[in-house]
Amino acid sequence: MFFRLLMESFLRQRRRKLLAGIAILLGTTAVTAMLALATTIGDRIHKELAVYGANIIIYPKADQLEVKVGGIDIKPASSGSYLKESDLEKIKGIFWANNITGVSPELDLGSGGMIRQVGSTSPAPVSAIAVWFNVPFGQLSTGAIALHPWWKIHGQVPLDYLEKFGYYQVLVGSRLAKQLNLSVGDRFSYTPPPGMNILKTSDLSYQVVGVLSSGDQTEEKLVLPLKSQIYSDHGKLDLRLSRVELTARTKPEDAFARKNPDTLSPRDHDRWYCSPYANSIAYQIREAIPGAQAEQVRRVEQSEGNVLKRISGLMWLISAAALLAAGFAVSAAMATAILERRGEIGLMRSLGASKAAIALLFYSETGLLAIFAGTLGYLAGSGLAAWLGARIFRGDGGSPEAILIPVLLPVVVALALAVAIGGSTPSIRAALRMNPSAILREDA
Amino acid sequence: MATLSLSGILRRSLIHRRARSISALIAMTVSAGVATALLTLYADLDQKLHKEFRSFGANVVLTAPAHTELPPDALAHVQQIAGPDASAAEFAYAVATTSTGTAVVVAGADFTAAKKINSWWQVDTWPAPAAPGAALFGQRAATAVGNAQTVTLKYAGNPITLQNASRLTTGGDEDSRIYVPLAAFTAWTGLSPSVIELQVPGGASRVEATIAQLKQQLPEVQIQPVRQLVEGESRIVDRTHALMYGAVLLIALTVAVSVLATLSASVLERRRDFALMKALGGSQMQLMAMFLLEALILALAGVAAGFLVGSTAAWIISEGNFHTATLPHISVLPMVLLINLVIATLAALLPLHVLRGLQPAALLKGE
Repeated sequence: MFFRLLMESFLRQRRRKLLAGIAILLGTTAVTAMLALATTIGDRIHKELAVYGANIIIYPKADQLEVKVGGIDIKPASSGSYLKESDLEKIKGIFWANNITGVSPELDLGSGGMIRQVGSTSPAPVSAIAVWFNVPFGQLSTGAIALHPWWKIHGQVPLDYLEKFGYYQVLVGSRLAKQLNLSVGDRFSYTPPPGMNILKTSDLSYQVVGVLSSGDQTEEKLVLPLKSQIYSDHGKLDLRLSRVELTARTKPEDAFARKNPDTLSPRDHDRWYCSPYANSIAYQIREAIPGAQAEQVRRVEQSEGNVLKRISGLMWLISAAALLAAGFAVSAAMATAILERRGEIGLMRSLGASKAAIALLFYSETGLLAIFAGTLGYLAGSGLAAWLGARIFRGDGGSPEAILIPVLLPVVVALALAVAIGGSTPSIRAALRMNPSAILREDA
Repeated sequence: MATLSLSGILRRSLIHRRARSISALIAMTVSAGVATALLTLYADLDQKLHKEFRSFGANVVLTAPAHTELPPDALAHVQQIAGPDASAAEFAYAVATTSTGTAVVVAGADFTAAKKINSWWQVDTWPAPAAPGAALFGQRAATAVGNAQTVTLKYAGNPITLQNASRLTTGGDEDSRIYVPLAAFTAWTGLSPSVIELQVPGGASRVEATIAQLKQQLPEVQIQPVRQLVEGESRIVDRTHALMYGAVLLIALTVAVSVLATLSASVLERRRDFALMKALGGSQMQLMAMFLLEALILALAGVAAGFLVGSTAAWIISEGNFHTATLPHISVLPMVLLINLVIATLAALLPLHVLRGLQPAALLKGE
């Protein structure tokens, strides 16, 4: 009998059920979409913030002071100490290796090198750096291009590896290009400063493939491919590096992150070590590469943390507002739906149904409706979030990933249930308290 | 018997069915409140986000040509062009040697201005600029000069003695430098500032306009935007803006449809009133006017209450998240009013439209 009542109610009162169902559906759609966006906003904004460049920097510990004014290093280039390229492999082994999203090693060749162009007899002094342009590193394909999204290249990105019978492909800074009258396609030879004999120097083996505009001092330099120097005349070499820039997904710094790990209790130390703070990633790199000093780039890291915190905070608060509004809307709709059916309640009671049986019937109806519409709303909300996310953050190079967060399904359905039952309770109670004959008379 | 006037019926209808009036009023208040809160936050969003981006520091750098100095009134000039809400700090650089002959970059800076513009600098204690030998040692510089209490540096034969007390950590070039107050620096080296770091608030367009103006006024100075900051800021503000827009539409739609459903249900419930009035000779137009007027009164009251509630909510959210208050925006009121009036009109007219074809007699009989 109970199930027949339940079934008939759904079959016969389709309009009423539809109205309440739509309210629940819309509410859960909005809540699911907002929650799904709020939980993924961190990664998305982090990707956007990648335009600010590296948030961790590694340099040799024993290096002398940088005597740099306005981006120009005054110190002679050969006097420094170096990291080794083979050390980079060790970064893949640290605890938070999976959080590292970009690596850009750099060798500063200083300003002591000489360039000689076709047709000119006298070489000219030139500053140069050697970088990875786009090199596979574990699962990543990374390098200076990825870590400096503000670089604008007229021409093409050089190849990292020397092609057979090809030339070393290089970028030339825009100001240097103007000064030396170099343009895309030109060939030249480059003699590195003394003590930097790792670069192959046969005649005219370099070719300009792009002119770089970076908005900083790199515009006055040659940018050479670091990788193609490995197989030089001297056989395979372990390259020297003057610094390595890293981007890593980090957790914004809090008071705990600023603690000195060496003074923490073993338990706190583990907790600190296993949190993806920029500080703990830098600490793990220092552990992995002896002789290296790793630091967070505070300008990027601190400010990113700040912006990230505000934007995700805003999303969570808006989600809370959505939850509140949807909750109210759903419970109001449920209350109205029950109110409309006072006549039925009066009839059932006068036919001898107990209050408990009636309440159970109505709650079951509400519950079924909430589960059904809530699940639909979850699916619709996930789709909406994916669509919105893909539209807003398009052109990030990432595919429009579907946001189907399974953990949200029980949460959203439970919320829908709670709100629907909570919203219908006052009306059910009020209807049950009234005298059945009064209800029936009123309706007659 | 008193004559039955429209206002009399309206008053009676609102007061007599108090529970229903109140629930409709609450629904209208919620829709107006949500709309007000979201629109208020939305109106302030760009400004608030741009403010957050100020923590990235200078977005324009002015540099004197090599081996020259900036004109003495450059800072005042820059500040005047960039406006009072921009911050600027000037720096002078010299390469000094320590007693062991190590070269180190010493920078002269106005500590107050540098602190304001470079909020990410981690400094244990800022030295008082007026104190003798006041200096800020970058962490790598501090290691290089040894951890002595006082450090003597030489520039062109002139010595200066600095208190090695304050540490600066940034993870950038600053780590290798020693900062001293500008007045002490100039007295020691005779050099004046060669670099001005300028932070122009607002988006890329304002930065570009400021640079164009600066270039006109200071033609001999090299002026460059910090490109990644200027581009990144606009991108992120635009995307957050779009995200918020999506959220506002989504929530507004949800609330609107639910409120519409609730209100039209309560009008449908009154089909007996409707039938009675029709049977007593009321025209379709009169009835529509009455239901509409009732809904509009509720909508107006809802806007008044909702504006208060929504503005408070926006203030709380903004205070909690951005730590700055958002004052109520009167400018969102017309929009909120429009939304609520549309909802009320639809809620009153849709059910009437459904009921129009029905016979009063059939309705009264309860069919």
